[in-house]
Amino acid sequence: MSLSASELDRYSRHLSLAEIGRAGQERLRAARVLVVGAGGLGSPAALYLAAAGVGVLGIVDGDRVERSNLQRQVLFGESDIGQPKAVVASGRLHALNREISVVAHAHELSPDNARSLIGSYDIVIDGTDRTAARYLINDACVILGKPLVSAAIHRFEGHAITYLPGRGPCYRCLFPDATAASAASCAEAGVLGVLPGVLGTIQATEAIKVVLGVGEPLLGRLLTYDALEMCFREFPVSRRPDCAVCGSAPRIVSLEDQSERGAAVRRIAPGELEQLIRAADRGGGAIRLIDVREPAEFAAGHLPNAESIPLDVLDRDPRPLLGPGLTVFICRSGTRSLRACEIAVRRGLLEPAHLEGGLSAWAAIVDPTLRVA
Amino acid sequence: MMNRTVRVASPLRSYTGGAATVDAAGTTVSELLADLERRFPGMRFRMIDEQDRIRPHIRLYAGTREIHAITEAMENEPVLHLICALSGG
Repeated sequence: MSLSASELDRYSRHLSLAEIGRAGQERLRAARVLVVGAGGLGSPAALYLAAAGVGVLGIVDGDRVERSNLQRQVLFGESDIGQPKAVVASGRLHALNREISVVAHAHELSPDNARSLIGSYDIVIDGTDRTAARYLINDACVILGKPLVSAAIHRFEGHAITYLPGRGPCYRCLFPDATAASAASCAEAGVLGVLPGVLGTIQATEAIKVVLGVGEPLLGRLLTYDALEMCFREFPVSRRPDCAVCGSAPRIVSLEDQSERGAAVRRIAPGELEQLIRAADRGGGAIRLIDVREPAEFAAGHLPNAESIPLDVLDRDPRPLLGPGLTVFICRSGTRSLRACEIAVRRGLLEPAHLEGGLSAWAAIVDPTLRVA
Repeated sequence: MMNRTVRVASPLRSYTGGAATVDAAGTTVSELLADLERRFPGMRFRMIDEQDRIRPHIRLYAGTREIHAITEAMENEPVLHLICALSGG
C-alpha cells in the first residue's frame, strides 16, 4: 500500500532523502521493532522510532514510573508516576504518531516469553538495566536470527553496538560473562540524565539504518562515549569461535536453558513475603532479609530484622551470604535486589529470592507507614 | 620504562579516585597493570583473574588493537584502554 497524503506530509523530510524516499519510508512502515526497557535508553529510542514511522513498536517493561525516572526517561511526566511504564509509553508514542501501532508489553522479558515476544518483531533494541536480561535478549536474537541494537550506560559513559546474527559478533563475544562487572545501577552509581538520550538516539539511528539497509551499522565496532570529555571512540570486536551461543559449537541452543544465565531467581510479592515473615516468626522456616540499599536509604526506613549489606559491599565480599534458610534481597524498587540475586547465584547461593517491586511495592501493598527513601 | 596513558572505564574509576586517565610505566600490558596495582590496590584483580587471564567482563585495547593476553607488548602504542561491561539502561 502506498503512503497516504497524511504520511507524505508527515515524512516529507525523509522523502527528500535519496537514501530513504518513498520506498524507504514504506519499509519503515512495514517494520516491527521491539524496545526492551522503557527507561533512559528506551525512551528516546522509542520516541524517534515512532516519529520516524516505524509501523509497529513493541514496548516491554514491567516497572512503574517513579519520580526519580523523570530526570532522564523522557517518555514520562509528573502525572504518570505510579503508572505502568509500558502502558504510559504506548499512549505517549501513539499521541506522537497515530499512524503507527504501539503494543504495550507490561511485564518483564523472561526465558518463558522471550521466544514468542522477540519472534514477533524484526529488530530488537536493548535498553534494559540488568545483565541477565542482556544475555537473554542476546541469546534470543542469535537463536531467532534477529538484529539487535544494544546500548548501556554508567555515570557519564555509554556503549553502543549493533549485532547482526551470522554477520558479526554477539554480546557474548563482546563480554562472555558480565555478571561480575560492577553491580552498580543508575540508582546507586548515578547517571547524567542526558547520557541515555545520546545513546538511545544512536540506537534508533542504527535500527532505522538496518531497516533501510543503508549506511554502515556498528557491526563488530564497539562505540564508546564519554560525556565529560565529549569524545566518541571505536574499538573492533570479533566473533569468538568459542562463543557459548554463536560459536562453532554453541552450548546455548534454547532460551529455556538457564545453565549459562544462572539459576532461576525466586520473585516474592509483598503479600507473600509478609506471610513468609509471619511463618518464620512462628518457627515455620528460617528467613533472612538482606537490604542491599545504601546505608542512608536503610537508615530512613527498613523492614524489621532486615540486615543492611549495600550492593557494592556484597559485590566485593559475598561471604556474608552463606547461611541457612531462605535469603531474600530487598531494595527500593526490585532492580538492585535482582542484581544481588545474580551475585548470589554466581557465588553459589542457590535459589536466592528478591522482593518484587521492592519496598515501594511493600509500602503500597502491605505497610503504608514504611518510609522508603 | 616508557610511560603510557591508561584510559580508565567508568566502573573502574573508583580505584583511581575518579580519574579518567592515569599514567603508568611499562612496555607490556602486564607491566602497566602491575604499575597500576602498586598505585591503585585491587584494580588489577578486578580485571585479571588468578590465572592472569583477562576477566570476561573486561576488554583491553592498545590503541585500537585488542589485547588477548597481558603478556602482549604495547609496542609503540601510547594508550591502553580499559573497557568494562556496563549494564545501566
